[in-house]
Amino acid sequence: MPEIKSLRTDYDGPIESALSSISKLLRGHYGISKRMVALLLLQEDAEIERQVKEQEDENYKSIQNILPEVKSSYGHPLTYIIAMTRQQKVNNVLDSVIATRDKSDKGFAELLSRAMMNPLSGIIILFGVLYFGLYQFVGVFGAGTLVDFIESIVFGEWINPWVSGIANTIIPFQILRDLFVGEYGLVTLGLSYAIAIILPIVGTFFIIFSIIEDSGYLPRLAMLIDRIFKAIGLSGRAVIPMVLGFGCDTMATIVTRTQETRRERIITTLLLALAIPCSAQLGVILAILSGDGWSLSIWVGVITLVFLLVGFVASKAIPGRGPSFYMEVPPLRLPKLSNVLTKTYSRLQWYFFEVLPFFLYASVFLWLGDLTGVLDIITSWLEPVVVLIGLPPEASIAFLYGFFRRDFGAAGLYDLNTAGALVGVPLVVAAVTITLFIPCIAQFGVMLKERGIKTAIAITLFVFPFAFAVGYLVNLILTTLGVAL
Amino acid sequence: MVSWRKIINTISLGASGDGCHEKVKLTDRDGLRKIGIVGNPNVGKSVIFNNLTGAHVTVSNYPGTTVDVARGKAKIEGSEFEVVDTPGMYSFLPITEEERVARLLLLTEKPEVILHVVDTRNLERMLPLTLQLIEAGLPVILNLNMMDETESAGVTVDIDKLEKELTVPIVPTVATSGRGMDALRKRIIEYARN
Repeated sequence: MPEIKSLRTDYDGPIESALSSISKLLRGHYGISKRMVALLLLQEDAEIERQVKEQEDENYKSIQNILPEVKSSYGHPLTYIIAMTRQQKVNNVLDSVIATRDKSDKGFAELLSRAMMNPLSGIIILFGVLYFGLYQFVGVFGAGTLVDFIESIVFGEWINPWVSGIANTIIPFQILRDLFVGEYGLVTLGLSYAIAIILPIVGTFFIIFSIIEDSGYLPRLAMLIDRIFKAIGLSGRAVIPMVLGFGCDTMATIVTRTQETRRERIITTLLLALAIPCSAQLGVILAILSGDGWSLSIWVGVITLVFLLVGFVASKAIPGRGPSFYMEVPPLRLPKLSNVLTKTYSRLQWYFFEVLPFFLYASVFLWLGDLTGVLDIITSWLEPVVVLIGLPPEASIAFLYGFFRRDFGAAGLYDLNTAGALVGVPLVVAAVTITLFIPCIAQFGVMLKERGIKTAIAITLFVFPFAFAVGYLVNLILTTLGVAL
Repeated sequence: MVSWRKIINTISLGASGDGCHEKVKLTDRDGLRKIGIVGNPNVGKSVIFNNLTGAHVTVSNYPGTTVDVARGKAKIEGSEFEVVDTPGMYSFLPITEEERVARLLLLTEKPEVILHVVDTRNLERMLPLTLQLIEAGLPVILNLNMMDETESAGVTVDIDKLEKELTVPIVPTVATSGRGMDALRKRIIEYARN
């Protein structure tokens, strides 16, 4: 580096003298200046302490002896004193460097920003975003109009008959024909679930999500929801993984890293696994329940209740301190179309390439299972549980799908519903259960990596029976009350 | 960002039991010289990264999109660099896991140039980290990003004066539109040559 005298922040007397005596004692290599190592030691940086202990065997004791003396000279933690000095230095530098033209006119953006964080208007705006963004665009347009078109016209009238025709002429064996175009066929089940049901829903969700995230709404939502989240041991910081969870729970579980404490990360991971439906699942459920306002309200109510209740209990049961919350609130911006499209495209591409092979494997697996009778055995195990919560036995196949992927399970429900096999109270019960039910394989994999094997297994062992228990309760309550949906 | 592609890797890595993803990789992969990008969350680090490397990592308008370390290559005036985008950090004294990852990266990988990206509208909250990077004796270039929003907020910055005060090179940019990126590349290569 060139020999220009670099900027130095001077601290208060006792701190400065501690810094110079610690610096003199340091012999090791840290990749940063000795002065910085000393500063971090004064601020009780655990990582640096460990490194110093490793590298400075004899001097470590003497260094340690310096610390309490400095600390006792101040009424505040040293971190605070040091940060204040630094801030003062920054302010001094900036005084002569920055000029601000007074612009008292805050404008519309500022007004809107405040309205988004105000408890009253904020809730109204939130409902507006949910209604138009999620319900109308993803649920009604994506999962309704688009899915109808692609499923019944593109696949139903064009692709499936065409492929069946080809299969019938060139494949002589029924069994092999079934692999491609049968009940669990690669084309008729795998490809059509992935393209006809999942793709339009996830696509519309990603468009909305990209617009919302680019506008700067999410941090404001975090501010708004912070208070509610405090009650379940989380802070507003958890809003981002939660909202992302509505896109893909797997991705959201990775993003829990932004949270401050281990406790917060565990609670968020649990709630993501249990009560946050991913976009594909959400879209399908909105689509099959949207015909009836009551069914949809019951589903929303039960899931919200479970979310809050489990969060609350978990925050009491898992030891540790409550989180503090501080988040940058970036300015509101009009999203750039090109950025929204690029993001939607890259997410869709990721999603699709992850999902498609999976759906195809699942088709093969199910076809094999059907052929060998294993499928019947497994569904017969699931059947009593499914029947116990008031569902028709055929629904057990959808739950089996759900083991593979959340969206696959929901797509199974969609099929049963359109076939008329699942309506009314059982439909709501099935929707509730499959939403709560088991995280998909990918999510489980990420949970293992991020939270460790014990926590991941504990969460799964809790989620599985809990989902059915809630389904059972909902069924019991609705049938006892004689609710007809 | 988390690039969604990276998640696939994460998932497949998870399946193969490869645990190296968690830790910052310590090896110089190609022995390339490195440029480390650091700064508070949501100041445009990932846009700068995309701009330097020509990659497409996800960029969002909220803090904490980058929870992982993104890597790419940049060619500046014929020299190749490895560019490393870090998760956001507020201070050199880490509180969250992402901040720990960001600092560990600076300590272990020793980038030739550390690009501190800041939101110019909030210099008084951004510069304490610059001060700390200077105190740590690291090779810092300060990048005043979001100059357009700063200007429209009615704030002007005397860049020459700030450069003298801080004793580090300063480059103003509007990364989203590419303004100032050529000057930034130039300063990086000058700095790396010294």
